[in-house]
Amino acid sequence: MSGAPSPGLLWRIAALGVVVVFFQIGVVSEVPVFGVSADLSPLLVAFVGLLCGSVVGAVTGFGVGLLVDLALVQTLGVTSLVLTVVGYFAGRLREARDPQAALTPLLVGAAGSAAAMVLYSVVQFLLGVDAPVSWELLRQIVLGVVVNTIIALPVWALVRRCLIGGLPEDPRRRRRRAYTTGGLSPLSRS
Amino acid sequence: MYDKTVRRRRLVLALLVVLSLILLTAYFGEASSGGLHSVQRGFLTVVSPIQNGANKALKPVRDLIGWFGDTLHAKGQRDELRKQVSKLRHEVIANNAEKHSYHELLALYKLDNQLSVSDYHPVTATVVAKSPNVWYSTVTIDKGESSGVRVNDPVINSEGLVGKVAQVASDGAQVTLITDSSVGVSARIGTSGATGIVQPKVGDPNDLLLQYLPANTQANKGEYVVTSGTVSSPDDSLYPPGIPIGQVTSINEESAYRSVNVHPLANLHDLDVVQVLTAARGSLPANLGQVTASMPPGRQASASGEQLASVKAGGEGEGGP
Repeated sequence: MSGAPSPGLLWRIAALGVVVVFFQIGVVSEVPVFGVSADLSPLLVAFVGLLCGSVVGAVTGFGVGLLVDLALVQTLGVTSLVLTVVGYFAGRLREARDPQAALTPLLVGAAGSAAAMVLYSVVQFLLGVDAPVSWELLRQIVLGVVVNTIIALPVWALVRRCLIGGLPEDPRRRRRRAYTTGGLSPLSRS
Repeated sequence: MYDKTVRRRRLVLALLVVLSLILLTAYFGEASSGGLHSVQRGFLTVVSPIQNGANKALKPVRDLIGWFGDTLHAKGQRDELRKQVSKLRHEVIANNAEKHSYHELLALYKLDNQLSVSDYHPVTATVVAKSPNVWYSTVTIDKGESSGVRVNDPVINSEGLVGKVAQVASDGAQVTLITDSSVGVSARIGTSGATGIVQPKVGDPNDLLLQYLPANTQANKGEYVVTSGTVSSPDDSLYPPGIPIGQVTSINEESAYRSVNVHPLANLHDLDVVQVLTAARGSLPANLGQVTASMPPGRQASASGEQLASVKAGGEGEGGP
């Protein structure tokens, strides 16, 4: 995204973050699928990064992480650190490659969730949490990623729908659309 | 222009990462009465009513989603329950015969209300939040200091032991579940009476291990494990005796001490309503907690019914309950 994000977009992201975090801890966490609960926060942060860029993605990750840690009385800073990294790199993917494939949100959601869960585990090990690297832990991470991948597309549709009105028109995307529709292509002009 | 954008982007990332690390280090290093913990408790106090309202409003959604999963499991549960009903019917017949002699013995030793759950002033609470990841076996409830809930109070539900209170705000509290690595519960096997410590099974946070049992302990699959009513350290929570924890699933005989795998009775993935056993100051359980805290570590595990009786007698002598 070129330039600073509009205040309207930031308000939309903040509202979406609060709603998703409370929906996560009030509903989603209490509905186990394959023995694990889906985690909407890495999906939300990755998709905000994918839509709005690395800076907005990182800031959203920090804010959502802080809210999660505060609401769930967890060690402050752990989720912020993890989600900041997820949001930043999802945004960088958009800025560097701008992928347009239909399955991009699915892959970004899966990669974001996997990165968040692995990074989270690494931070917990570094903090000295008394738990071994076990098959059970690996199973929980893999199942968590699978469940998040399953719900990635609906979450992407929801995030996109909520933010699309606040996103400025992307010049690169506009140019690409113009080429494909014919009239404005330099080739057609010659 | 491009360099400026790149520099700004990297600066923001570095700033946020450093900020997270500062928060993390400060939080991890400070005591539970520190500033960041206070901010967190304040936040919990503010959002507890909101979480409570949202929890009630979203219950139909949760129930609807849960209905699909429940239907899938219903058939298997029905078959298992039929087997259990048949087994329990035989046990009831046998237990009725023992019940009469049990009551006679209980009256003989005047032990019939000692350390019953009602002595702990149970406070019913609703679970309003739950951690989504495997690292935190905690839930948040809607009752706190204003309802008499204190740190280390035992938490139960209709199925058995759930955990203990870890942190308290004015209208909310954080409960650490028995599957958390920080929790250890003194427990005994229902029929043999062998006592040990129940802790989460290493590598499987959803299963428990009853450890440090004598080498000659006999236990059968399906036997119930209940709280013994003793504590193993001054920091432990004192759980009333006889609260069911789980059922024996298998026995390990590979070390000098015997241990058994225990499957928790309480469905910790589906907690809705729980009870916090809030022992009021001066009551029998609170007195017992003080006595065990002042004992040397080796003696604490052996706090027995004899000591409970002496504490009760002392409490009554001082005008206790």
